[in-house]
Amino acid sequence: MSDFYFSNIVLIQSTFTVLLLALSIQIQFRMGVFSFAGAAFYGMGSYGVAILVLHYDFGAFSALATIVVICAVIGYLLSLVVQRLNGLYLAMATVAFVMIVTVVAHNGGALTGGSVGLFGVLTPVEISVPHLLAVCAVVVAAMIASERGAMGRRIEAVREDPELASAMGINVARYRKMSFVLSGVLGALGGGLNILMMTAIAPENIGFPLIVLALTIIIVGGSRSWIGVLIGALIFTWLPVVLEQVGTYQSIVYGVIVAIAAIFMPGGITGIVTDLYRRRSARSNADALESEQRLEARAAEEDAAEAAELQAELASSTTPSGGSR
Amino acid sequence: MSRVDRGCRVRILAAIGAAALVLAGCGSGGGGSLADGDLPDQVKVVSVTDQTGTTAYVGSSQLKGIDLAIDEINSQDYLGDTEFVLEKRDSASDTQTAVSQATEALTDRNVSALLGPVLSAHAVAIAPLVERAKLPTVFTQSGSEGVVIGDYTYRATAPMETYFVKALERLRDQGARTVSVLYNAGNVTLAGLGEHTIPEGQDEYGYKVLSNTAVQASTQDFSTTATRIAGENPDAVIVLLVGAGNSTAMSQLRQAGYTGPVVGNPAAGAGNLAPAGAAGAGMYWATDFSFHQTAPSSEAFVESYRAKYNGENPLNYAAEGYDATWMLAHAVKNSGGSSREDIQRGLAQVVSEGFDGALGPVTFEGNDMRVEGVLVEWTGSEEVLVEESDVAE
Amino acid sequence: MSQLVIDALVLGSIYLLFCLGMSISWGTIDILNFAHGGIFMFSAFVASQIVSHVELGLVAICVISAVVGAVVSAAIDVLAFQPILRRAKNQRTAELQILIGGIGIGTIPVAIVQFYTLSEPFGFLRSTYETTVHSFGGMRLSSTGLVVLGCALVLTVSIAYWLKNTSHGLALRAIGVDPETAELMGVKRRQLSLLTMGISGGLAGLAGALLTFNLGAITAESGETLLIKAFAIIILGGVGSTGGAALGAMILAFSEVLVLRYTGGGWVDAVGFGLILVVLLLRPQGIFGKKEVRRV
Repeated sequence: MSDFYFSNIVLIQSTFTVLLLALSIQIQFRMGVFSFAGAAFYGMGSYGVAILVLHYDFGAFSALATIVVICAVIGYLLSLVVQRLNGLYLAMATVAFVMIVTVVAHNGGALTGGSVGLFGVLTPVEISVPHLLAVCAVVVAAMIASERGAMGRRIEAVREDPELASAMGINVARYRKMSFVLSGVLGALGGGLNILMMTAIAPENIGFPLIVLALTIIIVGGSRSWIGVLIGALIFTWLPVVLEQVGTYQSIVYGVIVAIAAIFMPGGITGIVTDLYRRRSARSNADALESEQRLEARAAEEDAAEAAELQAELASSTTPSGGSR
Repeated sequence: MSRVDRGCRVRILAAIGAAALVLAGCGSGGGGSLADGDLPDQVKVVSVTDQTGTTAYVGSSQLKGIDLAIDEINSQDYLGDTEFVLEKRDSASDTQTAVSQATEALTDRNVSALLGPVLSAHAVAIAPLVERAKLPTVFTQSGSEGVVIGDYTYRATAPMETYFVKALERLRDQGARTVSVLYNAGNVTLAGLGEHTIPEGQDEYGYKVLSNTAVQASTQDFSTTATRIAGENPDAVIVLLVGAGNSTAMSQLRQAGYTGPVVGNPAAGAGNLAPAGAAGAGMYWATDFSFHQTAPSSEAFVESYRAKYNGENPLNYAAEGYDATWMLAHAVKNSGGSSREDIQRGLAQVVSEGFDGALGPVTFEGNDMRVEGVLVEWTGSEEVLVEESDVAE
Repeated sequence: MSQLVIDALVLGSIYLLFCLGMSISWGTIDILNFAHGGIFMFSAFVASQIVSHVELGLVAICVISAVVGAVVSAAIDVLAFQPILRRAKNQRTAELQILIGGIGIGTIPVAIVQFYTLSEPFGFLRSTYETTVHSFGGMRLSSTGLVVLGCALVLTVSIAYWLKNTSHGLALRAIGVDPETAELMGVKRRQLSLLTMGISGGLAGLAGALLTFNLGAITAESGETLLIKAFAIIILGGVGSTGGAALGAMILAFSEVLVLRYTGGGWVDAVGFGLILVVLLLRPQGIFGKKEVRRV
């Protein structure tokens, strides 16, 4: 078992950093904000931590904390800049933002390492899976809390019907800004942890491919809950390993899988599971309802029969034969 | 004690004895150093490179060279009864996949050495890992810094700037006083040439750089720069692009009215200039290997390659892969063992002595290969040799 | 200096040819087709495969490429986009799913071509067409550049006319404004959608062939870089406006040429992205777009 762990450690690490990346985008989708800024924050997280460690001798934790705060602030500022945009236009604007980060990474000279990127990001404290799991546990706990109870309902209201939500007193604009800040935090965490474990980052590792990866994870896994994102992250981190057996057709197979998922599984895997669950419980509910209705119908029949008998009795006891008893 | 019990005990003792023997035998596998002449039956080598994706043609050419070398090593009984066994992993032009596959290789104690990827981005991520795990790794291509970083990392491709000077020498011999430069800033090797080697060579080789245009890796159209360069009317033009860019740039330069000589880079080879037709004629470049070169060891390689691959001519990537694999074979032979430490010791000896390989006579600076290099020119339909140096570098 | 203008015009025409197909489908039936780049490149690849066996001229190659593009695009519409639209719960999820579906499908032609070419460039080596260069007044224009300019002009004008003045075009624009009402008025949405995607694919194929002629060779990845520029152009010009796409293409091309000429080439891509951001922040509907009324 531990052989498997060490020999696949890169994939295990990647599953969780990709989970953070996908969550950073999904959290905004859940609030109805169609933004891909999380991918930009992931890139900034990776490069930012690399720059702080390589050029300014930061340690792992201080670099990570610093970059997370910086990205949170940038997220807030970004939310102000795009506040009037919605839907596909907001999406396009955030895609442009991600691409600009990539261009800056390419052209940053010695600071960002140009087209080779930065490498040799080694810190005295070696960050590995235990740290990653701890961070992910905290994040997932927060996600769970945000999906339940009043908070969960409020988020859903903001997504499904913003006018109604604000009529009910929810500050929709604040939720929007929060979503950008959260996206910044999660993206930066994912990117920062990624570089601390991989020790190298290049412009082609960030940017548009991250957007595509996160989207396919969210679509296939399911966009409503963190569970869907985790399933998606597991699938798309380990699928290439499985596909390697397919040999040179692997990229074709990958594209077909993504296409099929997008067409036939709009709610993702969690959507299918939830649908099945609902259908089963709906059926058992319907069965229960049916038997209840039948009982009621029978009871109603009996009542009606009784009533008829009573009436008949009454009618016979009051036949007009005069005379008193 | 009944007879059955004694029988059981004997069997248990025999089983323990057998297990002990087996464990003792296992211990001589990938673990510590071996005594001379104590080679196992198989030496397992892993190759991680791009068989698919954007650099597939580099990786698959490298693998052809590696396969040929392994065939020869085994069929010639170069290591006696010991055979090289190769496991190929496809990193699909993705850094993370390459790192993951390298990690699998280094955690597998049966793996003795790694033949590394061709992309610098992959190599710089893998280098610290294999160095820390003490897995001897020979990279090819991977020209950037941060690849050859310790005793366990080697590179079987001379950095381009070490032989690019041959092209600059020819410029000087042709009397070129002014040059214009167009280069792909997205490729670290070409960017290094465009930003450092060429400007720094101005005094030594007697030319002046009129303009230096950096384009991105995604740029496909060069008409603007071609117009500008043609307008400057330089004595020579240096074009450092990858893939299709070479033929497009040549066509557009000619269409813009520039008819003089053009210096290129090895990425213009492999038929990439063919789409330009006659416009591509006259581009020449310095490369670490051409199948025309006349060093005896190179000619032998080309002949074996043609025999194995149906008359096909090898690219420089194949020659590099071939030599990298033979380096490992020499290392095993030198040290007499196939553990990771043995191979490292053997490689240290190889690089101090140099050898004659597919790339010709090779020497090393540290763990980094040096070759003489050769100048080739594209005639519009084929690559021909311009000259070869007869003095080793 | 005037040569720069010609170069920018040709570059802009190439962008425009690529964009027209996307602009039509996005502006009318609301399909933002991420597979457009893949179709563009794949059509040129099929043409190049045919040309490697049979010598053909410019026109024949362009026709083949356009037909391949139209067929592939129509197939994608029938197999992917229509099913998605049928199953979608509302407009926003439909958009998102078409986006993803397009991305996923778009990787398939790229992967196929990468497999066959090992990512090496391909072109029309055995075509009978030879480029000639025309010089006039100190400026140079290649015959290919002339063809590109001509096609872009003719196609843009024809499509603008078609959208504005024919009943089909009117029906398409009606779908773009309000699909349900249009259907109530007798517009056959599914058929028109198929027609639109077919035309869009045909334009992509034509653009692919012309670009290959212009550059000499392209690779499996050539369509992807153009995709993002197409977004920039359509957003700049306004979704649904053909004239906007033309203007947007020229503005992008001129800006890129100027940036390349006077600064380092590394910032050329940033021009497109920067334009997207600036336009979206200042005037989201683009130059000629109408202000979108998003129904709740």
